[in-house]
Amino acid sequence: MNIKILNDYNFEKEVLQPKTPVLVEFWASWCPPCKMMEPLLDELAKEFAGRVLVAKLNVDQYRDLAAAYPVMGVPSFFIFKLGKIVSGPHIGAQSKTRLQKIIEEQMDRVG
Amino acid sequence: MKKGMHNKDCTCWSCPAINLAGKVDFRACGQSVEQIKKFQDEKGGGHIMAECRRRPELGLYDPMAITFQECPEWQDTEYGYLLKNMRVMILGIDGYLGWTLALWLGKLGCKVSGIDNYSRRNWVKERGTHTVVPIARMTERLHAAKEVLGIDIYFRELDVLDKVALTEFLKEVKPEAIVHYAECPSAPYSMIDFEHAKNVQSNNVIGTLSTLFAIHEAVPESTLIKLGTMGEYGAPLTGRPLFEGFFPADAVLKWQDKEWSLGGELTPRDPVSFYHISKVQDTFNVYEACKYWWLRSYDVMQGVIYGVHTDEVAADPRLRTRFDIDEWFGTIINRFVAQAIVGIPLTLYGAGEQIRGFIALEDAMQCITRLIAKPPEPGQYGVVNQMSGYYKLRELAETVAAIGKKSFGLDVQIQRVENPRVESERHPFNPIFSKLPDEFGFVQKDNIEQEVSRMFSLLLQPNIKSRIEEKRHLILPKTWWSGQKKEVERIELYK
Ligand SMILES: NC(=O)c1ccc[n+]([C@@H]2O[C@H](COP(=O)([O-])OP(=O)(O)OC[C@H]3O[C@@H](n4cnc5c(N)ncnc54)[C@H](O)[C@@H]3O)[C@@H](O)[C@H]2O)c1
Repeated sequence: MNIKILNDYNFEKEVLQPKTPVLVEFWASWCPPCKMMEPLLDELAKEFAGRVLVAKLNVDQYRDLAAAYPVMGVPSFFIFKLGKIVSGPHIGAQSKTRLQKIIEEQMDRVG
Repeated sequence: MKKGMHNKDCTCWSCPAINLAGKVDFRACGQSVEQIKKFQDEKGGGHIMAECRRRPELGLYDPMAITFQECPEWQDTEYGYLLKNMRVMILGIDGYLGWTLALWLGKLGCKVSGIDNYSRRNWVKERGTHTVVPIARMTERLHAAKEVLGIDIYFRELDVLDKVALTEFLKEVKPEAIVHYAECPSAPYSMIDFEHAKNVQSNNVIGTLSTLFAIHEAVPESTLIKLGTMGEYGAPLTGRPLFEGFFPADAVLKWQDKEWSLGGELTPRDPVSFYHISKVQDTFNVYEACKYWWLRSYDVMQGVIYGVHTDEVAADPRLRTRFDIDEWFGTIINRFVAQAIVGIPLTLYGAGEQIRGFIALEDAMQCITRLIAKPPEPGQYGVVNQMSGYYKLRELAETVAAIGKKSFGLDVQIQRVENPRVESERHPFNPIFSKLPDEFGFVQKDNIEQEVSRMFSLLLQPNIKSRIEEKRHLILPKTWWSGQKKEVERIELYK
């Protein structure tokens, strides 16, 4: 498992502070599309290791945190950079190429 | 994957011993937050807390903090960590699979309970046939299980459609996993006439609905292992993959010049009899119940089972599980072996090029155990395709014939007859069945050659052989999907 599991203790440090982009999936265990995304996110996490953190937050477990962002449905994907949402919400299951594209757009802008 | 340890990183979040009631507000999107807010105000802290029914001394704690590997209640077994004395209830415990699983789990240290209303015995009697491997009455079965294997099984005669009685029994036993086998498993039986179609569909569909309501009321944190069939998918002629219930994340629908993600949507179903249709309806009922009530379920799309053996059922004649060979209740490899023994040419329907997925009895037991050991998360409806390989029916007939000849000196022929079913006789078949090995650590232990030899050895015993002889007139099909009732005619006989 290469995906970072988020909670209310590590969210600040892992998502809001880094200078590099962070892809966050807001998900729930009752949501089949979220379950489907798991292996794919894992691959992305491996591919972008060291450059982009891939992380997920369970909205049932940490609903207050989820409520702080425009999560209208699950799964929702966001890219955070320096504490701000720079891309998203992208709602619903996404193909790998789509997510790669979304991430790469933000990587181009690093610097 | 390290042997047996597929579930070491699971946490209390997916453990059936957890008590989340009133402490988690599921469905963060669109549900009331009052209860959880109140709880958080009282207890402080933003993240969720739970209690453990097995270890009340923990008090309120973070259910993500303890893994199965760390918890003393989850104990190391050959099939992963398993809850100590795990309470497992088997619905349909008197059946081919139910009885076998009861002994298998009992031997593993589970506290097994079960219900059955003996309808399978009655359907078989109604058709004028019998199980060719004799089976004992339930009282005798229970007695022998205790005497021979030292297993206590808590049985109650009960119809799953009786939701009130089922709820009461669930409340009394509080199972941590429930395996639901209690359905009529026969496609041809459901195709006999309106009465039979109606009985199969109402028994299966309403039975599962009753089970869902009863679990919701009595044991919502328990795992439901529901038996479906690979036949729910059909065999699409395009040869597109038969995914495990859902489209994978990167599947897209392309139409005209647009694209949509299909990830996580249920794949199309194309059932092939009124029986299979009941299973598809079950799929939707279970899928929705998980969504509405955060029940946890695995729906097992099971391939055709073959075989007679586990160490437990073979331990004593009174512990044997049923074995049917007639046109309604016999499954194909089991029927081939019986035909070979009484000198009926092994019967292929139509071209005989149909392809199906298969799994041996013992391997199926292993799969169910591994699923129980790695429970779904709250609200999760997971689907696995449970099979160890897929074969052309003609090749299977050839395999059985060859074993019968070589190892048992039988003169076995193969015949093609008219196909009483409505199905493709030549088709591509591309099933995906990697979840059980990849995520649950399933390793195939039995295979067709070994199990077919075991079947021959058992079925050749004189008392069993004569029970096959007695019902030989019920082996060739007379039930047509068209509604006709007539013998099928031979198209071709091979040596
Ligand atoms: N055997 C196979 O090859 C196979 C393949 C795919 C799926 N399945 C599925 O697996 C399950 C078990 O199959 P099996 O071969 O053991 O069948 P089975 O008929 O031997 O077992 C089912 C048991 O459930 C009981 N039952 C049925 N309706 C009931 C009700 N309303 N209340 C209480 N008990 C009831 C029957 O009396 C029987 O003992 C079924 O759901 C079947 O559809 C079987």
